[in-house]
Amino acid sequence: MALRSRRREDIGDDELELVPVMNMFLVLIPFLLLSASFYHIKAINTSVPVLSSTSATTKGKPSKADAKVTVIVELKEKAVVLTATCDELSYNDLVKLETEMPVKNPEVYPMEKISQHLQYIKDKYPKSDTVILVPTQQVAYGTIIRTMDTARSANNAELFPNVVLSGKVG
Amino acid sequence: MALGRKRTGSSKVPKLQLTSMMDMFTIILIFLLFSFSNNPEQMSLDGDMKLPQSTSKLDYKDSIRLVLTRNELKLDGNVIATVKGENVEGLDKLYDALKNYRDVADTLKKDVNIAERKEHILFLCDKEHSFKVVNAIVKTAGRAGYPNFQFGVVETE
Repeated sequence: MALRSRRREDIGDDELELVPVMNMFLVLIPFLLLSASFYHIKAINTSVPVLSSTSATTKGKPSKADAKVTVIVELKEKAVVLTATCDELSYNDLVKLETEMPVKNPEVYPMEKISQHLQYIKDKYPKSDTVILVPTQQVAYGTIIRTMDTARSANNAELFPNVVLSGKVG
Repeated sequence: MALGRKRTGSSKVPKLQLTSMMDMFTIILIFLLFSFSNNPEQMSLDGDMKLPQSTSKLDYKDSIRLVLTRNELKLDGNVIATVKGENVEGLDKLYDALKNYRDVADTLKKDVNIAERKEHILFLCDKEHSFKVVNAIVKTAGRAGYPNFQFGVVETE
């Protein structure tokens, strides 16, 4: 009788031996924590202008709404200048797309205004997809990336996905 | 006999309640393993390097890696040029190395994976650098046959 009750007690007291598992966790977790990265690196596609051996060819004259406008954003010391270029549009049409925004502090560019103007161009010529970014020599890389973000999208809508980075010529 | 029983009963070592700690460790372990599987290839950045933030959601691709820290330019982990003020010294070495990559990629064009790997440059640059420094480097890469870049950024929330 005594033996039986002892067996029952033993069965009731049986527990999993968790200490080795704990030891393994204690080794694994610091190792993973050390090699973990808590920031996510993403990428922005861009390119620099290259000389092309092929000549530009015109495939008929598309309508104005189908025109693909290339916007040039110049980040100057005292202003941001937006101009546009397009084979299908007249000089007068292109002039209407130009604007200049004064900059009081060269470290703070008016991204909101740039975004609004780019949206205006995109609404007018929806097939446009390219922005050429022309910063001056002193503009910080961080500012360039912010301008690229502004040009690529606004309010979760795609604006100009192709951003080309170019130095000022001349 | 009765005494013997009593002694063994009193010398019983109290056990730690490890179950809740096990639960916690399991959760941490799963979280860490998931954060690894999210992006299996991680890169280590120099401590003093600050990447710009961006809203971009695009994952970077395996490619030639060009890292511009405050003072050094590294190509695939090897220092290839130095930055002093706003001047980059050693751009000719960068040009030669990239040209070499380009030639190898052109030769091995039949092998799709190798050709794809060498098509663009993943450029990681400290956000404080001026465009003068950045432009000198990207122009050199463009001349060597690599006009397409992926600018590495830190994802914002």
